[in-house]
Amino acid sequence: MDKTTVAAQQTDQTRDRSATSESKPRIDWETPRMEDVSEQVTAQPYIRFT
Amino acid sequence: MIGIDRLKAPLFVSWQLTRDCDLACVHCCTESAPGRRLAGELERGEALELALQLIRCEVPYVMLCGGEPLLVPHLFAIAETLGNAGVQLKIETNGQRFEPAAAERLAKLPVRSIQISLDGATEEVYARQRPGGALSKAHAACRAAASAGLPLEVTFAPTRINIHQAGAVIDQASALGAFRFNTGKLMRIGTAARLWERLEPTAEQYSRFRQLLDHRSGQRGADDMELCYRPFCIAEGLQDSVVDPPATLLVLPNGWVKVAAALPHVCGDLRRDTLEQVWDAYRRSWRDAMILSEVNQAIAAESLHPRANQWQSSLAAQSTRRM
Repeated sequence: MDKTTVAAQQTDQTRDRSATSESKPRIDWETPRMEDVSEQVTAQPYIRFT
Repeated sequence: MIGIDRLKAPLFVSWQLTRDCDLACVHCCTESAPGRRLAGELERGEALELALQLIRCEVPYVMLCGGEPLLVPHLFAIAETLGNAGVQLKIETNGQRFEPAAAERLAKLPVRSIQISLDGATEEVYARQRPGGALSKAHAACRAAASAGLPLEVTFAPTRINIHQAGAVIDQASALGAFRFNTGKLMRIGTAARLWERLEPTAEQYSRFRQLLDHRSGQRGADDMELCYRPFCIAEGLQDSVVDPPATLLVLPNGWVKVAAALPHVCGDLRRDTLEQVWDAYRRSWRDAMILSEVNQAIAAESLHPRANQWQSSLAAQSTRRM
């Protein structure tokens, strides 16, 4: 198995399971807001140097 | 519950539009260079569809980068699609072709930052680190951004070639009107990893560099340019991520999504999966024992960081098999 795509393969497996499962508790997701974007993220010194 | 579990979508998407670049920088972590467009990069229609998904999911902040994003013919179409819908934007460019017309067009959008790399204070040093580039063009790009009223950010990647000019580059960035100067330890990824023996600054050089940054930060007045250099290295950044994973997706030019810049792992494919599915996979990745083990190994050993681009060889192998 290609180690770098393990997480993606797990996505498929989980999606298949979730399609048949309707008993999961409802989650109250928060909408992302610009005010919550940290200064560290806006600078992103460690996303990349190109 | 960790922070990312509360959110229905990422706070920030870093979107590499292409691997192609008009420069061949010796420190490049994405191994970009002229003619290095990746096989299978998202085409215009696919990219615009992804932009619409980002809008529908209410992602508040998107960075468009590369490679060099100004080489992408549909850059402005993407930026305008996102910006006209209220998505805040950051554009990362080397500044070699960022002209006043481009700046004025982007100034009509909600742009929080134009980030331009200034990796030298003289033409000679800049060109050694950025073969094919001209510092005068990068400076002109900074002036074009400032003239158009765009917030200017500068980034500096220290190497043995340019680290002695860090103080002069900080002065130039400030004089050009930058609101922030981003730097930190050179990442051992991509082209930098290949040329590591030639590029890695010495411990003594890093020590003087940190002293310079601390000193300039201490002198900073309320209206002066901010110096941003923490976390200083990948290990520090990953340590923070283990505790509180960033609500950030890194989108590669072919639509794949990485778990973290310093890891090779891909958690989704935006050609195949929706943004919601990829965001879900990303959140689960940060609970995955294998991923957490890899993160801890990367924290412990910088020598493992060059593996971050192994997704590229995996893609190349797939392309070869299809031929």
